[in-house]
Amino acid sequence: MNLDDLTGTSGEWLRGSGPESDIVMCSRIRLARNLADFPFINRASRGEKAEIEATFKSKIIQPGELELSYLDVNGMSSLNRQFLVERQLISREHQAADWPRGVAIGPRENISIMVNEEDHLRIQVMLSGLSLHDVWDRINRLDDQIEARLDYAFSPQLGYLTACPTNVGTGIRVGVMLHLPGLVETKQIEKVFRALQKINLAVRGLYGEGTQAFGDFYQISNQQTLGKSELELIRNLNDVIPQIITYERQARQALLGEKRNQLLDKVSRAYGQLKTAHQISSEETMLLLSSVRLGINLGLIDDLEIPTVNELFIHTQPAHLQRLQGAELSSDERNIARASYLRTKLGNGRLPETE
Amino acid sequence: MTTCQRCTETATVHVTETVEGRRREIHLCGPCARRAGLIAAEEVPPLPLEGVVQGLILAHVGELVGEVAALTCPDCGLKFMEFRRGGRLGCPRDYEAFSIGLIPILGRTQGATRHVGKRPRRPARGVDRLRLRSLLRRAIAREDYEQAARLRDQLRLEDGDE
Repeated sequence: MNLDDLTGTSGEWLRGSGPESDIVMCSRIRLARNLADFPFINRASRGEKAEIEATFKSKIIQPGELELSYLDVNGMSSLNRQFLVERQLISREHQAADWPRGVAIGPRENISIMVNEEDHLRIQVMLSGLSLHDVWDRINRLDDQIEARLDYAFSPQLGYLTACPTNVGTGIRVGVMLHLPGLVETKQIEKVFRALQKINLAVRGLYGEGTQAFGDFYQISNQQTLGKSELELIRNLNDVIPQIITYERQARQALLGEKRNQLLDKVSRAYGQLKTAHQISSEETMLLLSSVRLGINLGLIDDLEIPTVNELFIHTQPAHLQRLQGAELSSDERNIARASYLRTKLGNGRLPETE
Repeated sequence: MTTCQRCTETATVHVTETVEGRRREIHLCGPCARRAGLIAAEEVPPLPLEGVVQGLILAHVGELVGEVAALTCPDCGLKFMEFRRGGRLGCPRDYEAFSIGLIPILGRTQGATRHVGKRPRRPARGVDRLRLRSLLRRAIAREDYEQAARLRDQLRLEDGDE
């Protein structure tokens, strides 16, 4: 697998299926793991980082059973690194680093293993819809397979040892990416966030820690990693997410009932702008696509599918757009190319009509 | 002794908080901490005996802070205070080396100090190799290439044994 193979496709986690997929975009679990015989990344020499990478490649990639492809992130252009961030396959920190590092990617992009991020290994599995137990089964198996070949840093008292004590113990981050336009529109989102923070869950933007929410997408994840088992932490999230889904559905129904015309107007304008614009920024595209996605889920738009919208979210971002065009583009050129791409993809769609 | 960030008194309240991924340390004296709402307001003036006890506790904690501050990992060389500033540990052994300073922090931030959950199926063999690597790093730093070569051979030999 190389970047060209990835450019025209989109990850399986974007296919818009699975339980509650009108609201839950995807479920994701990551495990932070370190090798027992190396210093953590911030203390490892360049040579040691190269050795960690070589060890991983020879023991995990070479035998081939795991069907993982390895990409050398250090030797990559900044455009290609940005592409992997947009794809959710590497983090912004991994993109910005300047030492030997890479990412192993599994078939259909459900698996990514960042090598030499903040920890030696950051193992991630993602699936479409709300399916945390399925994700856990897969990542647990993968972790066992890696652990059989590499020595992890582990203490009987403190569990898996990580560079930052906020990850020690299970090393697990369990998260779901939610599309919450109803709660944003009815201004109840802050209330939900405050309630989540009280029960130790974190709310973040689309690209993780310290990032803004784009197009009404939010990631909700556990903060505690020590003192509770992986399954308890998954259960905590599984108990809460259905309630948020219920609130979001109620908010959507309230909008449909009380502000139907305003909602229809917003959805139609968004769809219309995406189909007719001649230059458009990625932020505006995200906001408009969010309204269109809501419109499809509420049956206001019937000639467009959710997977297409999910794909457009990813393909209209700067690095994707440039790779699809096969050229580096300035910001203005991107805005023109993005609008043209959207017109092509959405060109023949009908606008919803008032009843 | 740390000085209060708001006045010139000695700081007795030390708080570490993480806001949007950034660590921040706050050092305040009792009255300033009370004004900032970090500790409960005093409702009754303390009895003289309580004052004495308070003094003893402070003296003891002060000593512990000094002891903790001086901790250094024998393998990676990271100092506990460097960890407090940067928020990242240097190697797996730090958890053991900084245990007296780290366990209370874990108790506060994680609400627990004992791992519950998955365990590796076999014990790790890497701990001694971590030590060998640190000796190798030091040998290279002092340009003792003979020793460095010996250590590297030892590491490679073990790799071959697997």
